[in-house]
Amino acid sequence: MRFLACLLLCWLAPLSAADAPSAAEAAYAKGDYATAVEKWSDEARAEGVTPALLSALGNAEWRLGRKGRAMVCWERALLLDPRDPVALAGIRHALNAGGAERPAPTWSENYASFLGADAWLLLATAAFWTALLCVIVPRLRGRSAGEGNHRTRVIALTILALCLPGIWGSRSLDARAVIRKADVSLRLTPTQFGEPLNGLAEGDVVRTERPFNGHVRVTTADGKTGWVRAGEIEAVRGPGLPADLDQKAAP
Amino acid sequence: MRRLLAGCFVLLLALAAQAEDRVSWEITPRVTAPGQPFRLQIQVESDVVLGGAQQVDREIRPPRGMALRLSGQVVRADSNEATLNFSGVAPDQEGEYVIPAFNLRFVRKLIVAPEIRLIVSKSVRYRAASQARAELVIPDRTFYVGELIRGAVRMRGGDEEAVVASFGLESVAEGFTFAVTGDRQPLPDELGQGMQTTFDLTPIREGVSELSLKGTMLIQSVDRPTFGFGGRDRPFSFRRKLTVEHVPERGRPADWSGAIGKFAAEAVQVSKDRPEVGEPIRLRAILTGSGNLDRLLTPELAGGEQWDVLPAQERRRHSEDQRFFVYTLVPRLPGKLLTPTIRFSTFDPATKQFSRVEFKSIVVEVTGSAPAKVDLITADPAAPAATKLKPITGLATPTPRRPGPLLSGAPATPLAASPAFWSGNALVLVALLALTAGALYLGYLAAHPELRRRRRARAIVRTALTEARMTAGRPAFARAVVRALQAGSAALLDAEDEAMTQSDVERVLPGADRALLDALFVDAYGERFAAGAPTHATGDETAAHELLRRLLSLL
Repeated sequence: MRFLACLLLCWLAPLSAADAPSAAEAAYAKGDYATAVEKWSDEARAEGVTPALLSALGNAEWRLGRKGRAMVCWERALLLDPRDPVALAGIRHALNAGGAERPAPTWSENYASFLGADAWLLLATAAFWTALLCVIVPRLRGRSAGEGNHRTRVIALTILALCLPGIWGSRSLDARAVIRKADVSLRLTPTQFGEPLNGLAEGDVVRTERPFNGHVRVTTADGKTGWVRAGEIEAVRGPGLPADLDQKAAP
Repeated sequence: MRRLLAGCFVLLLALAAQAEDRVSWEITPRVTAPGQPFRLQIQVESDVVLGGAQQVDREIRPPRGMALRLSGQVVRADSNEATLNFSGVAPDQEGEYVIPAFNLRFVRKLIVAPEIRLIVSKSVRYRAASQARAELVIPDRTFYVGELIRGAVRMRGGDEEAVVASFGLESVAEGFTFAVTGDRQPLPDELGQGMQTTFDLTPIREGVSELSLKGTMLIQSVDRPTFGFGGRDRPFSFRRKLTVEHVPERGRPADWSGAIGKFAAEAVQVSKDRPEVGEPIRLRAILTGSGNLDRLLTPELAGGEQWDVLPAQERRRHSEDQRFFVYTLVPRLPGKLLTPTIRFSTFDPATKQFSRVEFKSIVVEVTGSAPAKVDLITADPAAPAATKLKPITGLATPTPRRPGPLLSGAPATPLAASPAFWSGNALVLVALLALTAGALYLGYLAAHPELRRRRRARAIVRTALTEARMTAGRPAFARAVVRALQAGSAALLDAEDEAMTQSDVERVLPGADRALLDALFVDAYGERFAAGAPTHATGDETAAHELLRRLLSLL
């Protein structure tokens, strides 16, 4: 009981400090979005990212006109917390007013957005072990399973079955990427001079498939399938902050 | 003294008389019919050795309509005489034509040839069909700036002469672009023997311009001699004044795009009959006809509610007199849609009338669903503003210090991609399965004790077999064998080892030698009851081994 109380206090501890706005929040409120991005990025590097921090960073990036980075932040925030209100509002704004395109979520993705990917997996794992132990323990003890055991077994197996679509949806949510560069061409072939099929704008979200020859096969929001260069997109699932595509790779 | 001066003067006169050059010419025939070939021969006699003539063709200026070409010269190296031969064709109009005086540049001397006169008269009887001749084929009408004029030089053979080659076509066409489209092509069958060179002319400015064409054809007599080539060349020269105007502005339609000629809308094709909404398809219209296909501008297609039209890419097939208009269409709505109509105006230079070419629309069945409904602007400006729904957009106020969910995980690597997670689970699962398997095995053994007893008996019998081989004394041998027989029999009969007798062994091993068993049991245990009792003779060890082996096979 004492342990649970400590855990709750630790979880609620940041709320107590929410009264005084940080320097990044003050900069954002004043319209100094570049400073807000810089401060929040430092905070993320130092303390790790949270969904709220990522969504706030996405807002500041969007205000700076960096659609690709903003969409990456929001999408990553939603991976961690599928019901993050700031990220949801940001993506809705990008789709309605910003001209960005995002594949319509499938039923399994909608289902998976009820929990995070890790929560689905942990829940499924717990249900699996519960069901397994309910089968094994009576055998080890050499006794027949009781009524409570049977009830637990059914409940665990039901939870496991309910978790499977969530895991599948989380997997397909991970297999997406954001267009990070302006005027990207969707190409017919994964070659340098592949015939352009369609244009993709910065901030558009695409579903990714297999990589080949420095390109990645993607499906756009309107269902067109083609290849884009690997350097023109950034996977939704990735390290906390968006990649700096302008920075040259180390030799 | 006077006589001496008079003699010198006479001598000088004589020298001056010798230094005068003599040039004579002869035209055969002297009077020609219009268009009749003739030959001109010029003979030169000088007081010095002449050498070869140079650039005679550049100096001679034949009158308009006359073709003349140097066809050969006869000059001896050590002679002061030269003969120059020209071949020519008389003009088409009768009259007296004068070739102005011109210079004959020999190696050693320049000699002036006098003017030469040629009389062309229709009174001369000349059968044109018998000789090879060249004709310029070009429409005789007013031309228009930008139109495509197709012409040809036909070199037709006659009854007595055949055209075997042509060369040296030169053109001067100011105010036109001139392009040879086919050189030395055979004439159509209905025109007889010969060849033709076709060309395209395009007027580029208004006014009267002159088209000048000249060249040479190589002809050969039909009844050529058996020995020798027998060919000769014959020049041709055409000069034609062409009148060029602009396409009339009166009655010119607004969608006239520079098309001059006769055109026909051949076909309209689409790359896909059943596209989806938003799927680009290619619309291809094929235009054929005789006219300036290359120069007309691509008709514009306006996109509408049903189609988005993207810029066109075109291809041109020169060999087939076709032009393709290619457009990329993107359907915006599902259903049966008609492709946009391609239409444009043309000008026919023959009739001097404008006409319209129109490609028919074709039906394309568009599948898929319509995009989200677009709120069109209502025509009622008095409608209350409150009824207009504003789209929910805008960024929410960031709250970066809001706590996240308990199981948010790491953004970079999900738990599903963690090897430690999967390997830990797998390890626990394997351990649990192993534990379960062990428990089940032990439980089975507990439920079946005979398995353990037989296994023990097998071990005892095998040990006894080994001991029996290695033991030297009879009593020890008998004790090992008997202990093994007792253990094996007890395992099979579910009894205690030491309670087994010869009869029990017989029950387990039917047909066993009773005497042998008795002897073995007596030797093994006899000393326990009667010390120093005699033992049986050796020699039955093999039978005892056989008994143990039988027993082992039963366990």
